[in-house]
Amino acid sequence: MAEFWRRIWILYRKDLLEEFRSMDHLWSTVVFGTMLVFVFSFAVQLADVSTRQVFPAVLWVSIFFLSVVALQRSFAKEKESAVMDALLLACGERSLLFYGKFLFSFTLLLLLEAVVVPLFWIFLDVDGAGVNLGLFAAAVLAGSWGLAAVGTLLNGITSQLPSARLLFPILAFPLLIPLLIGVVLCTQGALAGQGRSTMGWLYLVFVFDLLFTILPLVLFDYILEG
Amino acid sequence: MKHALRNPLCWGLTLLVLINMYVIVYYAPVEKTMGLVQKVFYFHVASAWVGLLALTVVFGASLSYLWKRTSRSNHLALASAEIGTVFISCTLLTGPLWAYPIWNTWWTWDPRLTTTLVLWFMYAAYIALQGGGASEVRRRLAAVYGIICFVNVPLVFFSARWWRSIHPVVISSQGMALEPPMRAAMFFSVGVFSLLYIYLLQLRLKALDLEERVQRLKAELFV
Repeated sequence: MAEFWRRIWILYRKDLLEEFRSMDHLWSTVVFGTMLVFVFSFAVQLADVSTRQVFPAVLWVSIFFLSVVALQRSFAKEKESAVMDALLLACGERSLLFYGKFLFSFTLLLLLEAVVVPLFWIFLDVDGAGVNLGLFAAAVLAGSWGLAAVGTLLNGITSQLPSARLLFPILAFPLLIPLLIGVVLCTQGALAGQGRSTMGWLYLVFVFDLLFTILPLVLFDYILEG
Repeated sequence: MKHALRNPLCWGLTLLVLINMYVIVYYAPVEKTMGLVQKVFYFHVASAWVGLLALTVVFGASLSYLWKRTSRSNHLALASAEIGTVFISCTLLTGPLWAYPIWNTWWTWDPRLTTTLVLWFMYAAYIALQGGGASEVRRRLAAVYGIICFVNVPLVFFSARWWRSIHPVVISSQGMALEPPMRAAMFFSVGVFSLLYIYLLQLRLKALDLEERVQRLKAELFV
């Protein structure tokens, strides 16, 4: 068991190192994120609606788009430099590769959100009084977990097909609907200062996360074979 | 055309569809408050049923493909997904026709409506992933996706239902206590639509098999 975690850790560190060495992809993704904030906030201002009411929807739609850009690359790197077989040989088990990549995607999403969420908060002029910050943080964490899991699973699928860039969001969004409902309502509850009455939605997101963290254990072998 | 004339299933189905029309129009009584527009219900429910049935077949065939790797099970999954998309589209089109006069809106986020729409998107994504089922890789990946979709459906339904039952439900489908002749008409319609699905599935399966055979023969000839 310790060996299992150690290998995942090595894979995870490899991806992080690689990402921070070049920085160019991370940088463009951060820029894209800030632009999303700008475009959405601007449009909402023009439409003259209550910013606090649209905050959960706008925030999560942006994070969804951002994750499409950010998570597309998790397997593409290996494909581009044609080292997929070497990587599979090195890590021994395919599901292990999934968990390594998943942790990396999760970290990447959290990093991006650390930039995007405060910016949205400021640009949409959300009033901080009476907000249940713990619930909000839990919604962001659990939501990113689910996004990273589904993203990594589907990236394993699309990275094997030539010119399948467009396929990734098409495959991902229908699956992510329960997560979207859960996190948006959770964020809304957190903004209204609710506690226990919105916990149910957090549990829904947990169930979703659990499902898509365990499912790859069975299915990932089939995705990466051959 | 020759095939259609020779196939008894085709003849039988033509007759059954005509009888079904008769049953819907004349046998089932006109609903007191909704009037004639309620007749769309018999098409709506039957095609929704076939849409779900087709997804279950996609799931089963995908499992079988990952297990045995026969091109037959891949063809079955693809054909079922294609036909399922057609029926789900019928459901999505007939629904608003009824909803506009009755609910006074074309669309509402009722759990059943939401789930049906997500179902349509999943089918569309599945077909895009198959890309005609041309390569071994695509077949395998589509099988995995077909399984994930099926597992995800209950989660979509319950999240949508829960969301709508926490908030006050303004517009809902009333608990339908159907009159016996209406119920009979509905079940008859569901039966006929299921047979139609099986017939179409058989046709499409044959076409896919033939297509593959043509490809193989071409490859043998022109190498």
